[in-house]
Amino acid sequence: MGTAKADGSFSFLFNPGLFKARTIHAGPGDTIAAAMFRSGIRIFTRSFKNHRPRGLFCMTGKCPNCLMNVDGVPNVRVCMAQARPGMEVKHQNAFPLLGFDLLAAAQKFSWLMPVGWYYKTFTRRRAWAAVEPWIRKAAGLAEPPPTIDQIADRFPNYEHVNVHTDVAVVGGGPAGLSAALNAAADNASVTLIDNQPALGGHLRYTPSEEVNLAELVERIQGQDNIEVLSLSNCFGLYEGNLLGVFRQRTTPDATEQLIHVRARRVIVATGVYEAPLLFENNDLVGVMLSTAVERLIGLYGIAPGRRAAVIGSGSRTERIASRLREAGIEVAAVVSLEKVVRATGSGKVNGLRTKDAYIACDLVVVCGHLVPDAGLLHQAGAKLQWDEVKGAFLAGDLPANVTAVGDVVGEGITPATVSPPAYPDSKRCFVCLCEDVTSRDLRQAVAEGFDHIETIKRYTTVSMGPCQGRMCQMSAIGVCAAETDRTMGETGVTTSRPPNPPVSLGALAGERRLPVRRGPLHHEHEALNAVWMNMGEWKRPLYYHADPALSRQGCLQQEYHAVRERVGVVDVGPLGKIEVKGKDAGKLLDKVYTHRFGNLKVGRVRYAVVCDETGIILDDGTISRLAEDHYFLTTTTGNLEFVVQWLEWWLIDTGWDAHITNITGGRSSINVAGPRAREVFSGLTDLDLSTEAFRYMACRQADVAGAPAVLLRIGFVGEMGWEIHVPAEYGVHVWKAVLEAGRPLGIRPFGVEAQRMLRLEKKHVIVGVDTDALSNPYESDMPWVAKLDKPDFIGKASLERLQSAPANERLIGFVMLDNRLPDDGSAIVVAGKPAGRVTSARYSPANGRAVGLGWVAASLAEDGREIDVLAQGQLAKARVQQAAFYDPEGTRLRM
Amino acid sequence: MSFLITCPECGERSVYEFRFGGEVLQRPKPGAPAEDWFRYSYVRGNEMGVQTEWWYHRLGCCRWLQALRDTKNNHVVRAYFPGEPQNGEPQDKENEPLGHGKG
Repeated sequence: MGTAKADGSFSFLFNPGLFKARTIHAGPGDTIAAAMFRSGIRIFTRSFKNHRPRGLFCMTGKCPNCLMNVDGVPNVRVCMAQARPGMEVKHQNAFPLLGFDLLAAAQKFSWLMPVGWYYKTFTRRRAWAAVEPWIRKAAGLAEPPPTIDQIADRFPNYEHVNVHTDVAVVGGGPAGLSAALNAAADNASVTLIDNQPALGGHLRYTPSEEVNLAELVERIQGQDNIEVLSLSNCFGLYEGNLLGVFRQRTTPDATEQLIHVRARRVIVATGVYEAPLLFENNDLVGVMLSTAVERLIGLYGIAPGRRAAVIGSGSRTERIASRLREAGIEVAAVVSLEKVVRATGSGKVNGLRTKDAYIACDLVVVCGHLVPDAGLLHQAGAKLQWDEVKGAFLAGDLPANVTAVGDVVGEGITPATVSPPAYPDSKRCFVCLCEDVTSRDLRQAVAEGFDHIETIKRYTTVSMGPCQGRMCQMSAIGVCAAETDRTMGETGVTTSRPPNPPVSLGALAGERRLPVRRGPLHHEHEALNAVWMNMGEWKRPLYYHADPALSRQGCLQQEYHAVRERVGVVDVGPLGKIEVKGKDAGKLLDKVYTHRFGNLKVGRVRYAVVCDETGIILDDGTISRLAEDHYFLTTTTGNLEFVVQWLEWWLIDTGWDAHITNITGGRSSINVAGPRAREVFSGLTDLDLSTEAFRYMACRQADVAGAPAVLLRIGFVGEMGWEIHVPAEYGVHVWKAVLEAGRPLGIRPFGVEAQRMLRLEKKHVIVGVDTDALSNPYESDMPWVAKLDKPDFIGKASLERLQSAPANERLIGFVMLDNRLPDDGSAIVVAGKPAGRVTSARYSPANGRAVGLGWVAASLAEDGREIDVLAQGQLAKARVQQAAFYDPEGTRLRM
Repeated sequence: MSFLITCPECGERSVYEFRFGGEVLQRPKPGAPAEDWFRYSYVRGNEMGVQTEWWYHRLGCCRWLQALRDTKNNHVVRAYFPGEPQNGEPQDKENEPLGHGKG
């Protein structure tokens, strides 16, 4: 089961639902649909609205008649998807079986659901509320995969790929092949995008006397500068000649790819496709487009019926008829569309009634409209104009660097039927196979005043289904033109938009191969059993699972208590680090930051906030002055790139002597904090770390464990501590030395989560977590950061105004009065009404209950006020507290 | 959005390599009337046609440049480093606004 045999044949499963899964045998090159059809399966899906049985119709991946679920992925067009050993195929939109669908009862009630019925019926809200759940259940095509996990294990099978090329040719038919060869002869690099498994287009199943396909393909393969992307659908042509290409997996182990092709020149050779004709029961199983029949015969050696009636006229119809005879199919009659009354049969076709006779048959072959596949050109801005002679909309006014060749610009089109032909007024004459829109529905819509093709589309949903208008557009325009006494050209086409054809969401989400940054201490953390979290592109230890017997909470408690009672060490490597040097460095910082830095003494550190011109807080960090012309800046992890760009921007055109260098990757940084932090360093450095010699908010440069280090005495976690920055190559050495020196003191590495608990107890704000894109320093409870007496800085004008303006909201601290812990983002409620939101909340061991930060209306921000916070689904009492939750005087920082 | 910008340093590159920095605006002088600051902080021309914009080449030379972009079709007419001579010719100071603003 599921393995390929020596001759290339293999098998997969078709799971019909109720009964045992059926084994389907397939040969090399088979699509799923071809193999299933060969096994005798005729019904592939049920229609969207009326649940009418539907079978293979176009075989080119355009119509909605073969959408199935393949290995859990819904809405796969099985006529195009390559069969693979061991895959499992299921039906969708039918219950319980394709052949016996209880939902087909919908058909009996179709008179209750005329065109636009939901607009007309559910105008009262209560009526809609009553039926909405039922409609939702019945509506929609297919079920999404039930859980996110099910997608997750498929996730690695997708990827995004970039291709840069001189010339991109879309379409591997004869026109595309010639265009590719011509471009390659000019020494251009060529990417040939074709949605079939092999090159040749229609020549693969309709051999031509004039063109030698084998020779053409051989020449293509002989060209080193032509890259062929087979099984690849080009779904969009965007600005700058960017092509979006979705590539099916080419081998069972290959990925599905979203390929971004950037080309200097695009040649569109997408050819034509065939669209159906209008007659009663034109959707029965066994009614097929002529190209579908040709493909079944020519590509897969399948005779799609025993006795056929062919609808159409002209040389193309004659050719199709003789093709059928060659394949051993009896051609009972060739009738022109005008003569057709209806196809007969219940579900499957069993005959064709014409004005003259009744023809018994099991196959009705429709020689339909040949429609240029000009969607890409339309997207790129080309105008589609009706050509009376060709009977087709042809693209004109192509944008620069886009050309079109072959059938797509009407070169080989000889219409078998002239549009618009007459059509019956019937509720069994389907214009739109996707949404079961009939010719009667369209007449009704025009009668109700929807007389423009775009309004008809929106009212009836014609051309809005999975075929994206390919099957129905010509018919819809024909009916609209006839009903409104206009020509096809006057009626016009609806707009084509990407993606066209559809792309799987998995491919769009893709595995984008995002870079991962690992700091110099990564392997040290790993050895200590770190549990990782992603912070931007960095991996950071969330906590250390130091004792396998302990829970996450237990580990966090240990880390917390180590810092508060002894000493802890945290890797702060991802913190942004910038050097600003030069004699005007202070001037630049004075302009960009709200604080004053020109007067900062060498050896001192100051808290630093950046605002934009509207006074919104963009970032915070510290700025240390290491020398007269040398500042050392730290930023938040996420805003580093932004702050560097922001500083550089404000430097432009000033002529100032200031040099900005991002040194983040070049430093390894740790923070050693806790009442015994000083003792850790006693053997590691000669520097005097005493309270008097190295005060809080001071900085020094000295050797630590022999490595040149910058030491900042700051305290994000609220204890005496030093942030130590050393060149990255010394990182591991210093980390080990600190752990070694701290071992007798009970040192403990701690992660981001413990750091967040510790800082929250001190009410230290995290910009971007506790503040958002509307937070200014006044409302964020840090008015002291804005030095309005400076002559100028970014945001000064706005901050001057905000200082005197009444605050809308305020950032507050709160203590929960019972044992519950609200989630970050929970609602704050006062007097039963939403009054704010929680930004951070954690259990505080120092308080024995949860504490948090949040935003409330300014009038509620009074110390001691009681508020309600939504915690674990219930309102819980909390009290506003403006002072820090731990050591509000900051004595521990200054020890 | 997938247009190309010709960076004066790196050549023709996809817009995804750049960060948008907003329209080029003239920052009011300190002490200018509130109305000027309001317009500078909140009001944008949003020109239908060619407008001058800041772009930062974050996945390239890491420099700020100015680009003349036609907003109707996203065609970038020209891109240059402000204050630098282009193609060896001195820059026309009149027609290339310098100054700062955040979009």
